[in-house]
Amino acid sequence: MTTAQSPSDTAQSSIWPWIAMSVAGLITLVASFVAPADAVQEELSRILYVHVPAAWLAYVSFGVTMLASALYLWKKNLLWDRIAASSAEVGVLFTGMTLVIGMIWGKSTWGVWWTWDARLTLTAIMFFVYLGYLALRRTTDDLEARARRSAILGVLAVIQLPLVHFSVVWWRGLHQTPSLLKPASVDMDTPMVLTLLIAVAMFSVMYVAMMVKLVELAKLEEEVILMDQSDLGPVAGAAVVAPSLGGDS
Amino acid sequence: MVNHRRYPDAVSEPTAIVSLSGVAVRAGAVPILRDIDLEVHRGEAVGLFGSNGAGKTTLLRLIATLTRPSAGHGSVFGADLGGPERFDVRKQIGYIGHTPGWYPELTLAENLGFLADVMGCDRARVDSSLAAVGLSGAKDRRADRCSHGMQRRAEFAKVLMTEPELLLLDEPHSALDADAILLVDDLVRRTAARGGASVLVSHDRERVNALADRTFVIAAGTLQ
Amino acid sequence: MTPGFIAQALAFTRRDLLRERRSGEVVWVTLPFGAVALLLIPIAIGTDTPTLRRVGVGMFWVVVMLFGVLIAVRRTSADSVAQRDMVALTGADPAASFKGAAVANFMLLVLFEVVLGVLTVVLYDVDLAGWLWIPLILVLVAAGLSLLGTLAAGIVSTGRSAAALVPLIVAPMSVPLLIAATQSFEGLRLGESILTWILMLIVIVLVLSIAGVLTARPLQETG
Repeated sequence: MTTAQSPSDTAQSSIWPWIAMSVAGLITLVASFVAPADAVQEELSRILYVHVPAAWLAYVSFGVTMLASALYLWKKNLLWDRIAASSAEVGVLFTGMTLVIGMIWGKSTWGVWWTWDARLTLTAIMFFVYLGYLALRRTTDDLEARARRSAILGVLAVIQLPLVHFSVVWWRGLHQTPSLLKPASVDMDTPMVLTLLIAVAMFSVMYVAMMVKLVELAKLEEEVILMDQSDLGPVAGAAVVAPSLGGDS
Repeated sequence: MVNHRRYPDAVSEPTAIVSLSGVAVRAGAVPILRDIDLEVHRGEAVGLFGSNGAGKTTLLRLIATLTRPSAGHGSVFGADLGGPERFDVRKQIGYIGHTPGWYPELTLAENLGFLADVMGCDRARVDSSLAAVGLSGAKDRRADRCSHGMQRRAEFAKVLMTEPELLLLDEPHSALDADAILLVDDLVRRTAARGGASVLVSHDRERVNALADRTFVIAAGTLQ
Repeated sequence: MTPGFIAQALAFTRRDLLRERRSGEVVWVTLPFGAVALLLIPIAIGTDTPTLRRVGVGMFWVVVMLFGVLIAVRRTSADSVAQRDMVALTGADPAASFKGAAVANFMLLVLFEVVLGVLTVVLYDVDLAGWLWIPLILVLVAAGLSLLGTLAAGIVSTGRSAAALVPLIVAPMSVPLLIAATQSFEGLRLGESILTWILMLIVIVLVLSIAGVLTARPLQETG
């Protein structure tokens, strides 16, 4: 049983994620312009303070999807399914951002919108894998069946994540080799590293804020589905009546 | 409602194979059945009537564990119809639906042979079952080259081969000739005689009334 | 008496292979379709022999991945409700059903690869270095793709748009197989060690095999 919320409570709980997202976005923007420009790429390098955090948060999102999926399979609580699906939605959004921003950066740097670099291609593949995950969730209104099937795919799909990351190490391509998460030491200047870390932190705040709203929305969607699936109302057989045989006999 | 036991020697004391209490079933957002209370005991045959779309097939599929209830409590052979244990009792259920489920590319014998292999039945029973239903001469004919009536007969062969404890028949008399119709009656009696039970859905009231211990009508989604 | 896991799985394999022998869907439709694809590619990209020699192996694997998916998922939309009910009521172990179907798909995929492989060598004038490794690579890729397709078909099951959705799920998830397959052949061409890729294929096959068995029962419970 839940206690009734006052209108002011409701207003506050629904507003703070938007506030958090706005503030985090603003901080990211400011930080990316305060940080020094790259010696080679100059002002264009600032785009990376959005591109790189978006990519990392995409990995985090799909990792959360995997964990929540595993927890659903274990606990059978639909809350975990809502978290898994919401995180996948955010992950698809961040992956899309990563690809688009990467393409903009690539056009300016490499002269082409797209290259068949291993990491780029595999990131695009990851985008479609999780689009498939979201499409799978639309194939049934049975909440339990949807949750179970999605959870299984959510766990299996995560194999894409290490593949995308290590692809740059395993195959040589045009994409920048990992600057932070690689066996050798970090090779970025400290102010840029700090800016990047601030950007990652702010993107994480945005991720959490989006998750709060999406999980809330998912709960409401489930309630609507369950309302539609009420056992009240006319049964299907009520639509069938005896035929009326008209005309003179 | 007919209310006498036709097969009193089948069991020493009645036990419910099927037990439904307040059960409701939906198809998506549309309720099909609600407040279904039904018990089917060993040794008895139950008949179900109803108009088109009343939910007869849905009820049969529910008892067959092919559909889950959306409300209420139901069990078959003690297994909860809403839980995973319902899969463990499926071997004990013989279900003959509207449409035969044979693989069209395989012969009748091959289809039954597949079922025998999966269920652990003796392969020799494939031929004897097909012979018992009068399909010896067609056993090597592909299912898609058999008439609907022949495929129906083959389903009875399946039941003879597997000897389920609970027999669920959806419109069993349809598409059958006069000889084959007698098969239905024979199957129901055999099942009851060895301690099983049958539930028949049919529009043929006369025939079912002659066969069943009890009959119900499904109307407005409930049993009456 | 309920038969053991292997006996049940073999029953499902026999069923699928017999159905294929009678319908000829893979041999007479999918395989020729794959062959046509191999024929269309040079028409689209040019018939310069050195170019074709260079891209031939890659094109072969792309055709195997995309068309092989059709082999692995062909039963998803084909089986009727009545057929699924019939199998469901046998009380068969869902893991045995998965394994049986996957083995049948595997055998058909190996046939598919061998025939198209020969065609690729002929049409694209491909030089096959390290040919002793090739059967192993073909077998491992076929195993991985059949397991993936069978698993995906089970996940999507009877939902809406199932037939269209399964290839969408399988195709991108077959990328690790595609990478391992192509890198193996590239390694053979360059005279490099391909053990890493062979190991990767083996790991993929093992992971999918275990995943299929572990998920069979939970997926059955969604039906």
